[in-house]
Amino acid sequence: MFKKTHPLQSKSEIILRNIVVIAMVIFFTVFLIVPIGIAFAGSFHEWNPLSGTYNFLGLENYKEVFTSGLFGKSMLNTVIFSVVVIIFRVGLGLGIAYAIYSALVKYKSFFRAVYYMPVVTPMVAVAFVWKFMYNPQIGTINQIFGLDINWLMNPKTALLAVMVMTIWKDFGYAVVMYMAGLYSLPADALEAAKVDGANAWQTFRYITLPLLKPMTLFVVITSIISYIQAYVQILIMTEGGPGTATYLASYIIYDEAFVKYNFGYASALSFVLFVITAVFTWLSFRVSGTEE
Amino acid sequence: MKRRIFAAMMAAALAVTGLAGCGGSTEQKNEEKETAKAEVPAEPFGDTIKYDPSVEINDGKDISVELWEWGSDDLFQKVIDGYTAIHPNVSIKLVNNPWEDYWTKLPLALDGEKGPAIFNIHNSYHENLINYLAPLDIPLEDLQADFTGVDAHVIDGEVYYIDYGMMTGSVYYNKKMWEEAGLTEDDIPKTWDEMREVAKKLTVRDGDKLIQAGLNFNDDFHQNYLLGLNYQLGENLFQEDGKTPNINTDAMKQVMQMLVDMYEVDGVGSKDFGEKGSDSFGQGQSAMVIQWGHYYNTLKTTWSDIDFGVFEIPTFDGNPYAYNRYNGESTFGINKNAPEDQQAVAQDFVKYFLANDEAQIEFNLAMSTFPAKKSLAENEKILENPSLRVLSEHIDHYIWPGPMPSTMETSLKKAGQDIFFNGVDIDTAFAEAQENIIKDMKNSSFVSVENLYAYAE
Amino acid sequence: MRRKISAVVLNVLLLLLGVVTVYPFVWMLSSSFKKNSEIMALEQHLLPQVFTLDNYVNMNAHFNFLRFFLNSLVVTLVVTVLVIYTSTLCGFVLSKYKFRGRNVLFGFVLSTMMIPWCVTIIPKYSMIQSFGWMDSYKALIIPAMFSGFGIFMMKQHISSLPDEILEAARIDGANEFYIFHRIVFPMAKNGISSIAIFQFLWTWEDFLWPYLVINSQEKQLLAVGLKMFNGQYSTDYGALFAATAISIVPVLLIYLFFQKQFIAGIAASAVKG
Repeated sequence: MFKKTHPLQSKSEIILRNIVVIAMVIFFTVFLIVPIGIAFAGSFHEWNPLSGTYNFLGLENYKEVFTSGLFGKSMLNTVIFSVVVIIFRVGLGLGIAYAIYSALVKYKSFFRAVYYMPVVTPMVAVAFVWKFMYNPQIGTINQIFGLDINWLMNPKTALLAVMVMTIWKDFGYAVVMYMAGLYSLPADALEAAKVDGANAWQTFRYITLPLLKPMTLFVVITSIISYIQAYVQILIMTEGGPGTATYLASYIIYDEAFVKYNFGYASALSFVLFVITAVFTWLSFRVSGTEE
Repeated sequence: MKRRIFAAMMAAALAVTGLAGCGGSTEQKNEEKETAKAEVPAEPFGDTIKYDPSVEINDGKDISVELWEWGSDDLFQKVIDGYTAIHPNVSIKLVNNPWEDYWTKLPLALDGEKGPAIFNIHNSYHENLINYLAPLDIPLEDLQADFTGVDAHVIDGEVYYIDYGMMTGSVYYNKKMWEEAGLTEDDIPKTWDEMREVAKKLTVRDGDKLIQAGLNFNDDFHQNYLLGLNYQLGENLFQEDGKTPNINTDAMKQVMQMLVDMYEVDGVGSKDFGEKGSDSFGQGQSAMVIQWGHYYNTLKTTWSDIDFGVFEIPTFDGNPYAYNRYNGESTFGINKNAPEDQQAVAQDFVKYFLANDEAQIEFNLAMSTFPAKKSLAENEKILENPSLRVLSEHIDHYIWPGPMPSTMETSLKKAGQDIFFNGVDIDTAFAEAQENIIKDMKNSSFVSVENLYAYAE
Repeated sequence: MRRKISAVVLNVLLLLLGVVTVYPFVWMLSSSFKKNSEIMALEQHLLPQVFTLDNYVNMNAHFNFLRFFLNSLVVTLVVTVLVIYTSTLCGFVLSKYKFRGRNVLFGFVLSTMMIPWCVTIIPKYSMIQSFGWMDSYKALIIPAMFSGFGIFMMKQHISSLPDEILEAARIDGANEFYIFHRIVFPMAKNGISSIAIFQFLWTWEDFLWPYLVINSQEKQLLAVGLKMFNGQYSTDYGALFAATAISIVPVLLIYLFFQKQFIAGIAASAVKG
């Protein structure tokens, strides 16, 4: 497996490399491949650890996943949720980062720190606070805007309300990411643009933005992965309600696995979700790749 | 700037940890005091089930067991202290878990080898626990002699836990609003029609805007109305096989229709007015709520400003098949996979708990449940609590359907939300609920015990 | 002049957004000094009408806050340090050594990031049980020792370090262990800072896993403790907000500490995609 490829390869290099590779292989086998194998096998079974059932079902669980209207609906919600939140996260993140980065703003690290605060706060806590703010009678939001909307119980606004909260919590991440990206832009490219007489917008559109593409891709992909798995905000703010209006895919999995203990069905759902995540990730790579 | 923020936060953190430290030490002091207080009885006590404190446990050798519960440390600690005062060689370690997560974690812990020997049970999670339970070694006749509702807990001749108390719903009303509406004690409604009239009088509007709801059932209509009022109409929650839910029925729909009419025709409240009926009542925005016994404690602690009264739940015709559903607060479970010596302690501890009147009263008062122990039905301390007093007359006319799977509640909540918020009609919503419950109960071992109701037809 | 106006407008906008961002925190902090009845009262005021420290003092009624706090701190620090070390080491080997299977291995590491938690958590739980690691920090630390994300970040980061420095050290007779610890590690400090911040945050707020595997009160972590305010019938909001307010402090501190390197580290790792 390990072939000598460069001349200076020393004994210590081989030892170090072998240790690291072996450790990684063992670790990921034990804590990833084996569990995935067990879960995959489990997804073909009726598997309930409490009653001790583990009966072969064949494709029954998967059949149920694809025929269940609820999963379809929650998948649609998940896609809407992810797409909207990611668009705002990226848009706000880029815009604000660019604003802070510009010479017009003085207290850069102050703003950066403030916007990042929600990111480092546990979701559980944040969700409780927002649940209060959305309260139709005593909530800050209705009081400030003089509205009378039952945000979390109105099927038209419930998912929106959860999305707004999530955007609030997460946009700071994108701000910091884009600031990092902006600071590492090659100065000569920007200089060259200036020399060529490009105005601010042109510089941004034709120089900065393309140079930031890897960062955008990074933010989008990490966001896809984390939003497809989001459930805590739903658990605390709406419990999927009203009715099933705010069910997200991961919330169903949580519910099936740790409320109903249908491990088999939950595993099948997880694999479907995994495949969907992979497809979306691949798609975003493709989209960014074909743009060039 | 950064440094200043940092310094401020350090100071805050220090201040808080300092506070937390103080809290810790006072708590310890309290514990010491309480341990010192526990009296050691010398004589056997109890009714039929007797507890003899002179019998040594575990041959007097030191032993330690765990007891898991959710959220009532003081209550449990007191019983534990009383017990360990008799048996100093036993130490019982209390493990407190938050309610929701208790049920995620306990079954998984019991599945392993290191599960707790004793754990608190809520019968809504019966099915997740029953496979891990050891039967009580107290004779069935003794249990039946001392406690009501034991029959419903017999499984193949064995009893794994029983109820120490029964909880159900009553109407809580705001006395000040009652007076302001010109109502007196004589206006306390007996029927739903009267209730609706009273609710209208208690409703205050400013033009179209609701200022004060006469009745509020937001967020709890499924528990406090849908799952229970069916009995008043003579319909059980489960069909005769005891397994098929009986949701898609005229009785259930009639109850739901009444709820919808109260808001939409009578206008005594609104689905958007007060996120939760229970909070809205506490906030002084709603004049009446139907709540289960635990609400009494919430009012006493969180909403101590509200001057409230309690009356019995109204009926449709004054002569119901049963008044409402009740639910038992369960005695502790014993882990059948625990080591033998620990199980012996657990058995002894449960017996101590059942024989001990003082513990029974304290648990019932703390939970606002009506004692299942027969000798305590007329107990003064119990009747002092108004939410228990209103139950005493008809307490035998309440039905326990058995440890219903939680899908009964969640599916009906969903159905109700669909009706109120998503514009789904009652027939469709209830048909769907029925279907969901059947699906969720596919592998359930639940069998309704509604047929054990004393006045079952 | 136009420049000045746009500067003012921009700053005001950013400040407004800052207020929106901070407001929920202020609300939470202020609520942590209110009684529950005031938190839920109809008449809402941002500042407590009756100032009370009860929530902070009573936190111990629910749990031993200080204990949980220290447990969390220890576990989180250990995991973070371990992940930093393994990520840097793996990143070094994967970026600077050439061997067959390297790209396959790296591709595999990348794909681990995509696997939803729900796929593996159930089997992982039963494995931990059969290893006899329940209720021990082994269950929290060992399965978290390697991080796909960390390895990815560090590989990107270290591959930007010039090979010449390493070669020079090799010619001077330094062995690879020396090179890694004395040359690569210090040079990777920006990348390390970003991993430190991410990993610290993730471990600090991770709830479900510690909840499943840790049973004893003395070993429990803070994130789990925050859920203890959720009772059977009601939630003790005041105490919850008080505990949350304090639990955010360490993460904020870590962030403020490493902020500069964090930004630089992200830039170096992610921009190259």
